[in-house]
Amino acid sequence: MDDGRLYRFLRAFRIDVRPEEARAALSLFSYFFLITFAFWVIKTVKESYQIGVNERLWWGFELGTAVLIGFVVAINTRLLNRLPRRKYSSLTLAFFAACLVFFWFVFEQLLPRPTFPIPPVMVFAQQHANVFVFMFSFWSDIFIAMSITQFWIAVNDVLYPHQAKRLVGFLVTGGLLGGIGGSLFARVLSTLAAPHTLLLACPAVLLLTILVVNIVHAERERTRGRTEAEYHRAGRGIGYLEGLRTVRRHRYLRILAGILASAVIVGQLINFQFKFVIAAQGWSLGRRTSVLGTFFFAILLLSLVFHLATTGKVLKLFKIPLALLIAPVFLLLGIVPVFFLSVVVATAGPTLAGRYWAMSLRGADKMFDNTISQSVRELLYIPIPAQVKYRAKVFVDMFVNKLALGLGALLYWAVYSLFSFGLRDADFKVRVLGILAFLFALVWIILIWIIHGDYHEALKKDIPIIWPDAQKEMESRININWTRRYVDLIQSRQQSLALYAQNLFKIVTKEKLTADQKEAIALLAGELKARSMDSLLDVGGETFFPGIEEAITDKDIEATIHEVLALPEYRQLMDKMLGDIAGQKTASEVARMEAANLMGLMEPTPNVIHNLGRMLQDPSPDVLNYALYSAAAHRNKEHIPLIIALLGNPMIRQDAQDALTAYGPRIEDALRKRLRDRNERLEVRTAVPEVLARFGDQKAADILMLELAREEEGLEHELIDGLYKIRSNQASVHFNERTVRTAVLSLIRKNCEAYLAAEDSGPGGEPGAVGPARKAAIDLRTKRIFDLLALIFPFDDIVKAYQNVNQGTRKSLDHTLALLDNILDRELKTFLFPLIEDLEPAERVRRLRKFARSLKAQGA
Amino acid sequence: MDIKISDHNQVVIMDIDGEIVRNPDIKDATLHQLVKSQLERGKRDIVLNFSKVEFIDSFGVGEILASHISIHNLGGKLKLCRISKKLFLIFQVTMLNRVLEIFDDCESALKSFEKA
Repeated sequence: MDDGRLYRFLRAFRIDVRPEEARAALSLFSYFFLITFAFWVIKTVKESYQIGVNERLWWGFELGTAVLIGFVVAINTRLLNRLPRRKYSSLTLAFFAACLVFFWFVFEQLLPRPTFPIPPVMVFAQQHANVFVFMFSFWSDIFIAMSITQFWIAVNDVLYPHQAKRLVGFLVTGGLLGGIGGSLFARVLSTLAAPHTLLLACPAVLLLTILVVNIVHAERERTRGRTEAEYHRAGRGIGYLEGLRTVRRHRYLRILAGILASAVIVGQLINFQFKFVIAAQGWSLGRRTSVLGTFFFAILLLSLVFHLATTGKVLKLFKIPLALLIAPVFLLLGIVPVFFLSVVVATAGPTLAGRYWAMSLRGADKMFDNTISQSVRELLYIPIPAQVKYRAKVFVDMFVNKLALGLGALLYWAVYSLFSFGLRDADFKVRVLGILAFLFALVWIILIWIIHGDYHEALKKDIPIIWPDAQKEMESRININWTRRYVDLIQSRQQSLALYAQNLFKIVTKEKLTADQKEAIALLAGELKARSMDSLLDVGGETFFPGIEEAITDKDIEATIHEVLALPEYRQLMDKMLGDIAGQKTASEVARMEAANLMGLMEPTPNVIHNLGRMLQDPSPDVLNYALYSAAAHRNKEHIPLIIALLGNPMIRQDAQDALTAYGPRIEDALRKRLRDRNERLEVRTAVPEVLARFGDQKAADILMLELAREEEGLEHELIDGLYKIRSNQASVHFNERTVRTAVLSLIRKNCEAYLAAEDSGPGGEPGAVGPARKAAIDLRTKRIFDLLALIFPFDDIVKAYQNVNQGTRKSLDHTLALLDNILDRELKTFLFPLIEDLEPAERVRRLRKFARSLKAQGA
Repeated sequence: MDIKISDHNQVVIMDIDGEIVRNPDIKDATLHQLVKSQLERGKRDIVLNFSKVEFIDSFGVGEILASHISIHNLGGKLKLCRISKKLFLIFQVTMLNRVLEIFDDCESALKSFEKA
């Protein structure tokens, strides 16, 4: 079946899969199905045999496994180091298949009339039945742990984090169906034949699994582009000690191990409770196996229903680590009833309430483990770097898992001895175990809460900043104001000596010059003196005296000029002259420029302020430039309305914004009035947010937010730009979340409508494909969406997210989606993700149609 | 100032003729406004051809820098080509050459987008 057909086949079942993933998804599904089929057949037989052994020895099964697992892990890691992964998986499965035949043979010898009787073996087996039960128990634990670990390693190898999150539900369904099949098979066959006969079916299943494993690994090479050798190198060095060191070095992994250990201990204590209750029923081996088969079948069927109905939704709605809380909280509450009911009554025997409670609690534990808990625990591994992950996973899944089982077994032995369980009734035993389980469930919950924050940090490591903030980068490299003043200085050399000298004086005396800037001034002097590059720096019609640039820096000259400017006679003279120039329409533009520039150097007397106000209404942009520069020096409130009016002139807008910035936050009210005034020219209103952004205080942010809430389309872009600028410079400013969310949803709705527009099918008529014009508009709105999100969510995370959605690699995009999944709330995720995920156009349209109506209903 | 706009694959070339200075007589859109209109078209990579630009004032500098910021914030790139010696000197002295990518000829500027 080709990829297209596979994709369509899976889509028919509403699986959230992409065309290029179909083969990998289906092969992983099959892998999990086959493994769990065999697993549940073996488990049913194992548990039935274990319950038949004296309860004093139950702890021995778990503790023995825990102790011996270390040797198995050592052999396992050596094989992982030496053999390619594909070969290793195939060999281990073949080994397990052979073991199953062996155990069938051994258990057959325990029968009064075995199929292939070998008297010495029969005698030995019957004398050491418990030993063989122990061996089988140990072996089946190894099989289960190794098989599941290998499967999830394969998932990690083939899928990226967000891919895995999308597909994990589908894969778990495969596991559940396999479990249902296996337990049903066990339940039915155990009524027709001895329990150990079930084992004979499993080798065939495992041999089929070998075939599927090879397909999975071939798919891994195809999709991830990494060869067997590369994965082998990644996994090299995975020893038990190496795994232990890796886990110890990483806090995240330690907490993950702790979560797994707590969950295993709670599960085991619940399992012991279950065994006490089942043992109290007094059933034969065959009946017990049949009941267990039915019980597991029911659990798995319920797990499947639960999983199909809720796991996907839970993963979508909850942040990943928090989804792990569901199981321990539920079990915590489920343990409590045992303190109020009886599982056994001395005169009447086992109670129905007790049996159903035990089955329900164990069923719930297994159900969560089969669905949400297992899925989320595996997803928690995915953000970890490959090298660390492979070292840790084997160690955690095998050793920590078994160590926890061992601890649980020791706990059982301890309480068994301490409280003389052999002399107590089932109620007492079950309640003591209940207290322990309750305490460990609390530990479990606390660790989940801790890892919640760490998961977020782990995700971010693979999401790079692709480009730095342009404004900040520019400001770190150049002084923009100086640059513009310097350019004006050069231009003024062509216009007049007075203007040039004034500009030079202002630059030299008002600004602290860096070495580079002083050199720039000196360059002008050098060029003027040498006249060697006469075409580069043209001198105007007037004669410049050599050394003006050095002279102007002389402190004596500076003091003299200030003294002259302060002379009452000078002021009196200049008041008249400047008044004439300001009011005289026939004065030359250069004269007006000189006058406007000079006013910035003079004391702000009423006449100066008045005349400057007249110059702020001059028709020449060059004159206005100097008038604004002078107004910024004086910062007189009379000039504010005039300067604001100049915001509407594109030639002067930047200079007007600079002048208003010089006034500082005290003019925020004046700016607010003009911003809100719908009768004011749009050119003026759109220039105001930049000034407020430069103030960057809470009041400025509030003004912009209030205006954003009015939802005026013509201002939206500048308002969002201004708000974003404030946020990028001031982490402490607060933004009204409701207003931001409304604006975000409004933009999302517009993008949604753009995709859904019926007339916008692509060149080939493909539904959902947008043309270039709409795509451009969508892209700009997407930028604004992320700019707004950065106001109310962690700034750096959102900036990175936008950049990687825009230009990230496949891997970084996937991590970005996982990060956003963890940051954003359900509502935003629901509406935003279909717009930014890598979907087929038709699939995007389908999803957008689904929630377009609810977006509109929200008033977005 | 007159600006001619042409497309070269995914790159927009703006040929600027005249001075980028404050001019009360200007009726057309400013440089930054034209750059923004290209961004609204979905274009992200722009080359400014300065072969016919003799001078810019602080307004012109502001327009170039504002264009650079607008393009950069959307993940695009702005490059300049064929700047006169005079202008290049100003850019060097003011260290604008540290912020703006400047090429001797426009073909090199276009090729640099392909390499990226």
